[in-house]
Amino acid sequence: MLNVRICVGTYCYITGGEELAKLKKNLPEEIRDKVEIIGSACLGCHDMEGVARPPYAKVGDVLIQECTEDKLLDEIYRQLNMERK
Amino acid sequence: MLNKDKLFVEVGSYQNNKYGNMVCGDCVLLKKCVGENRNIAVLSDGLGSGVKANVLSTMTASMAMNFRVRHEPIIRTVKTIMKTLPVDSVRNISYSTFTIVDVDNNGEAKIVEFDNPPLLLVRNGKIHQFPTSDTIIRKEGLTNGLDERRIKLSDVTLKKEDRLVFYSDGVSQSGIGNMDMPFGWEENIYQFIEDIIEKNPYISARELSKRIVKQAELNDILKPKDDTSCVIMYVREPRRLLICTGPPFSESKDKYLAEIVSSYRGKKIVCGGTTSQILSRELNREITVDIDDVVAGLPPKSTMEGIDLMTEGIITLGALGEILKAGMPKDLNGQGPAWDMFRMILDADIIDLVVGTKINVAHQDPTLPVELEIRRNVVKNIAALLEEKFMKDVRLQFI
Ligand code: FES
Repeated sequence: MLNVRICVGTYCYITGGEELAKLKKNLPEEIRDKVEIIGSACLGCHDMEGVARPPYAKVGDVLIQECTEDKLLDEIYRQLNMERK
Repeated sequence: MLNKDKLFVEVGSYQNNKYGNMVCGDCVLLKKCVGENRNIAVLSDGLGSGVKANVLSTMTASMAMNFRVRHEPIIRTVKTIMKTLPVDSVRNISYSTFTIVDVDNNGEAKIVEFDNPPLLLVRNGKIHQFPTSDTIIRKEGLTNGLDERRIKLSDVTLKKEDRLVFYSDGVSQSGIGNMDMPFGWEENIYQFIEDIIEKNPYISARELSKRIVKQAELNDILKPKDDTSCVIMYVREPRRLLICTGPPFSESKDKYLAEIVSSYRGKKIVCGGTTSQILSRELNREITVDIDDVVAGLPPKSTMEGIDLMTEGIITLGALGEILKAGMPKDLNGQGPAWDMFRMILDADIIDLVVGTKINVAHQDPTLPVELEIRRNVVKNIAALLEEKFMKDVRLQFI
């Protein structure tokens, strides 16, 4: 199972995390049983201040900044070694 | 003796308007005098119903309340009310009833009643008689001579688990003309209250007052024939609630925060991602975010062992502030974390707010699409509302 952590803390939530949180429901059929979507209360934005921009998510150990559903899916497919259609 | 830390007066009320009326002709005012630790409740029923009754009862209740708060003698209070109320041109009287109850720190209750159905003392689950005395207050000057009022005064020393129950005549006269209660609910209400308390000995004032008014509504076949109001003051062991929000100003205080949370005896709410993470680290407990649970546009709740409710911080608190600002809602079925918090707050008497004052640098980002208010202000606002509108005993601590 590939772990996907989506941050729904304040900072990420208002910068787009609210949309990302819906990914769980919109996950393509083919990868549904290969990934686990987990929420996070905060992925540590304070430390990333000035370095990266929210919203944040993590696929495995890879941090994604300015995360969108698209970016997230790209990374998931990449780590699963699957072709994204 | 009613010890501040051992006992508490929970005050709850519920009202219904006469069927088809937009405003209530009864007026209920509740006040907590924070410094003196007194709770005052006033119920006034204005002559008739609708706007006119509402004006009469509101004037009466606010005068009664303000005089009471300033410890004015009761005779003067009543005379002033009589003098000030506009005189009804048809009946040539200035008329509104009132009940004033003032319970202090030591459980001493001062009760003043004028023309409302008699106030009930419920002790050990039974309606309990208590001594009262009558005083007659006269005021001259009305066109048809003398205006005379018979006021009932009583002093009662309350014990733990005592309840004071009072209501407008819309309650006692509900159901008038029904087969089973030709003269209205009247004394049968005593049995009703005793039955509820027998089944549910710790029922809150809020819940019991609602049950009484709802039953009155049923008696009138869902079309109340008059404004109905019920107020209850319930002396009980205080129910405590801890709300923690925000990381402590200095990291060295993180342990202290965790200490407060783990040793607290009562319900616990934690608001804020960083705060949750500090606790997770210090207490070595895992956080699980319920990501499927985005309700009412608010970030989802999380769960952690030993914490009754864990939410996001500032957005959720803002939403809670909005709910509180609107005052007591008719029903409590709202969804989402802010409502969950609100329901827990209603069930609590003493609310400890522990507020971390570290500024979240990330929140100061000027490019953010929404303005995030400073936590301190949001919480101060909430604390004030809880005290003024919901009569909670609030203790605010900044760390
Ligand atoms: S709120 Fe998302 S990383 Fe802190």
